[in-house]
Amino acid sequence: MTAGDSGRSGGIGSEVVWANEVLDVWERALRRVTGEYTEDEWGFDEEFAEAVFPSFDFLFSKWWRVEVEGVRNVPGHGRVLIVANHAGTIFPFDAIMIGTAIQKLHPLPRWTRALVLNWVWQLPFVSWFMRRVGGIPANPANLERLLQQDEPVMVFPEGVKGFGKPFSERYRTQRFGRGGFVEVAIRNRTPIVPVAVVGSEEIYPKLGESELLARLTGAPYFPLTPTFPFLGPAGLVPLPSRWRIEFLEPVDLSAYPPEAADDPSLVFDLSEEIRERIQQGIYHGLVERGPAFI
Amino acid sequence: MSGADSREIERVAIVGVSTYWGRELAEVLAHDERIGSIIGIDTRPPDSLPEGVEFIEADIRNPVITRLLPDLAPDVVVHCGIIWYPEEGRPSRALHDINVIGTLNLLAACEKVENLSAVVVRGSAAIYGTAPARPVFFTEEMARDLPLVTRFQRDIGELEGYFENFTRRRPGVTCCMLRFQAEVGPDLDSPLVRYLSLPVVPVQLGFDPLLQILHPVDATGALAAAVVNPVDGPVNVAPDGSMSLSRLLRLAGKIAIPLPPIVSGALFKRLGGLLDGADMYRDGELLMRFGRGCDNTRIRKEVGYRFAFNTEGAARDFASGRPGPARFVHPPRPGAGVRVVP
Repeated sequence: MTAGDSGRSGGIGSEVVWANEVLDVWERALRRVTGEYTEDEWGFDEEFAEAVFPSFDFLFSKWWRVEVEGVRNVPGHGRVLIVANHAGTIFPFDAIMIGTAIQKLHPLPRWTRALVLNWVWQLPFVSWFMRRVGGIPANPANLERLLQQDEPVMVFPEGVKGFGKPFSERYRTQRFGRGGFVEVAIRNRTPIVPVAVVGSEEIYPKLGESELLARLTGAPYFPLTPTFPFLGPAGLVPLPSRWRIEFLEPVDLSAYPPEAADDPSLVFDLSEEIRERIQQGIYHGLVERGPAFI
Repeated sequence: MSGADSREIERVAIVGVSTYWGRELAEVLAHDERIGSIIGIDTRPPDSLPEGVEFIEADIRNPVITRLLPDLAPDVVVHCGIIWYPEEGRPSRALHDINVIGTLNLLAACEKVENLSAVVVRGSAAIYGTAPARPVFFTEEMARDLPLVTRFQRDIGELEGYFENFTRRRPGVTCCMLRFQAEVGPDLDSPLVRYLSLPVVPVQLGFDPLLQILHPVDATGALAAAVVNPVDGPVNVAPDGSMSLSRLLRLAGKIAIPLPPIVSGALFKRLGGLLDGADMYRDGELLMRFGRGCDNTRIRKEVGYRFAFNTEGAARDFASGRPGPARFVHPPRPGAGVRVVP
């Protein structure tokens, strides 16, 4: 008797919860359709980012089993520049995973903006998606404005040279552009947090490239991986490697006056120092992580 | 030369007074006690002019203006004669002549005006171009960083070049080039507003541009503020914030139909003709793919204009469809109280 009662009331309770959820979804859908949501001036749509976050979280915890070290090195408020090595060949999952790590594991979670390769912004859908989840065209003026708004920003100074490097060169950091990110950081008194990402190189191992397809699509390169494009869209499923993201000790630039940004040798030295620390972090991370897929 | 609020202007000449914005400006300045007298110049008389505004029929494309203007002896010349869209009697093939040659002639005339203190030009943010990857917010020194791809963009680039020459030759004159973002308002009649007012709006598949929506009240208010307190060099006129096209259409209760590039190119061209935009469809097509944003620090801090509407406020006002929030006579002055519409 008692068991039956509690069973019935539990049933009614769950129905109420279920009905409430349906109402919630319906109300949210209605608000979206009538434009009653917010976008910031960069086109970042927090509600959209929250809606897709579970899929990022799935990739983070289940697919790549990301292990995170030192997330508290990212300050919980104020401007910060996060600098990481870049890999991925097809899609910048490393940026998404760094953002997910901060959102999920930091005691004061924030949405992190990422400066995204210029070429991406001419693509339909991809540019649309990137902007909604916090992507911004890579440009020093954009970086400066974001930092002045006290946002956390990710940059990948290797750019396409790191992103599209062949599998045989994995985990070797490429030249850090012209160190423009250091200039902007000095001018805006922004601490830099270097990040070493391990695992991102194995998701799409680039074995070769097709010059013909690159020319046809207008892409900087067209990668050939063991699965892409041979398996069609299914080849876009990233391999389930094991990841490790290490946030290194912040680099404090507040001792430099803003004019120091105009000194090319200082900027180059700092940029090289940060690259070296990330490289060391990668070596350390590779040892810590162990085998790539198990 | 930029002075305090108490600055007196004896005589203002508004060139292009018969255009929508010229007329609006005349309306505002006629009620401003800091302005002595107002002369309006255009090729045809406007539908109506406020009391006290003297109208002179003249064509800035004609060199006669170089004799006429010095005789009028204005302190401030405002050039509202740069037109964005073809109008009745001003077909699109005449736009280049009106905008570029007209400005060149007008500046030549300004050189001959002895007691001239300021020239204010109502230009366009088209000088920044439109491209996929770019500064999301252009500051004034970024002009021509991107290639100018449409005829209108090149025209604006050319006339700004003449303006810079003039600035160098007449260092005593405050030369203010205002770069306006596109205005959108419920009572405005332009190809862009007509496009946004279509019952079903064709958009480009996979793209959703970020736009800044300048309310007509602010378009006139900022222009008037720059006449009273001009500053040297280019100044962006753009509201705070930005909004995606998709959200603007949703707020306005419109249905967007995404079209693939093969169809949308031809359709935009056809639509451009139907909405009387003519050649401007190309500018519109690019703007509706990549969008454009401008930094407004200079107009707020140096000219001292306070916007009545941010992008969201302007969008909501447009979406409400009401014919304007009380057709204004006195726009917010520099330093006046702010009315921020959420």
